[in-house]
Amino acid sequence: MQMKKMITLFSLAVFSFGFSFGQSAEEDVPGIDKSPMDMSYYPNNYPVLKIQDKVSEPVVSRVIYSRPHLNGRPIVGGLLEYGKLWRLGANEATEIDFYKDVVIGNKKVNKGRYTLYAIPGEKEWTMIINKETDTWGAFIYDEKKDVVRIKVPVNGNKQVAEAFSMTFEKTNAGCNLLLLWDKIRVAMPIAFK
Amino acid sequence: MILNRSAFFLFLTFAFISCSETESKEEPTPIRVDTPVVHIQPTNSFTPVDISPMDMVYFPVDYPVLKMSGKNVPDLVARVIYSRPHREGRKIFGGLLKYGEVWRLGANEATEIEFFKRIMIQGKTVQPGRYVLYCIPSQDKWIVVLNKNVFSWGLSFPQEDDINRFEIPVETLNASTEFFTMFFEPTEKGANLVMTWDEILTRLPLQFQK
Repeated sequence: MQMKKMITLFSLAVFSFGFSFGQSAEEDVPGIDKSPMDMSYYPNNYPVLKIQDKVSEPVVSRVIYSRPHLNGRPIVGGLLEYGKLWRLGANEATEIDFYKDVVIGNKKVNKGRYTLYAIPGEKEWTMIINKETDTWGAFIYDEKKDVVRIKVPVNGNKQVAEAFSMTFEKTNAGCNLLLLWDKIRVAMPIAFK
Repeated sequence: MILNRSAFFLFLTFAFISCSETESKEEPTPIRVDTPVVHIQPTNSFTPVDISPMDMVYFPVDYPVLKMSGKNVPDLVARVIYSRPHREGRKIFGGLLKYGEVWRLGANEATEIEFFKRIMIQGKTVQPGRYVLYCIPSQDKWIVVLNKNVFSWGLSFPQEDDINRFEIPVETLNASTEFFTMFFEPTEKGANLVMTWDEILTRLPLQFQK
């Protein structure tokens, strides 16, 4: 009995030892982000529509952003600070592409690649489109590189979004970029028709 | 009693397998565990979080962070945007992915590679721009393809949009990577795009003026 117990313990120990080596990687490869990256297109699901030959209007815009989760934390005064510049996500700064010229807040925005920031507030958010791309967070933000700033109202949401979400919705003038997190819903109008 | 005896033999077998496994590794590799798996959020009906999360890598390595440091930042050369499927105990190459069949090098949307300057791959010039990258894996080599059908989902790659095909060798590691991983490593003449998953690792060499 004693012997059996020892063998059991020994084999378990050796087994888990081997197992932990099996998990290790030879190269120092990058791990997975806690706030995973995602992308959204206008028209929504454009890549899927494209391979199904169901595209009815050309691609206009794409956002690439990272998706922090609430994880039980309060959004206001916790994850977001009113009046303080936010990278609209996590990790790398959020990127917005326009594949044709658009109009945002009565200002023409030429087609191209931009960085998108926001200054959240209780009743309204300031959305900022900036020329400095491929940056991290909002740490080297330079107001001089702004292309347009637009104030948009904050609306409530019936459902709670656990992960920060960005998506597009069709409008008469073009589309809205929707920002959803917790019970906050903000829409930035983009005109191109 | 019968149960006891079979349990005993099971443990003996485990002990034997484990021993032989441990003995075959002369140089133990450092233990490195991936951060926990991101689970999908069923409460999010707007746009659910992907099971295979997206990620991006730059050359120069960590370009956005480098830029933040404000020092002499070298020119931006390349960026890859891809999704990272999770091995979850499956055999990947020759199992989940069939040899000789097209693979999107990730999950979900087609993997995108953007060059911000002109580069050379295996003696062929590639102009700056945005491309889709996919591969055809086989046991001893991969065919990596640059394709111009951008903004597409990774299940359809029209061959008429192929720009270049490159054959690269396959390296087998004696350890396994849990998440499919792409990253750049600097070389003398430019950088390698390293692609690794499970026990397989490949390198696509890029040449450019530094």
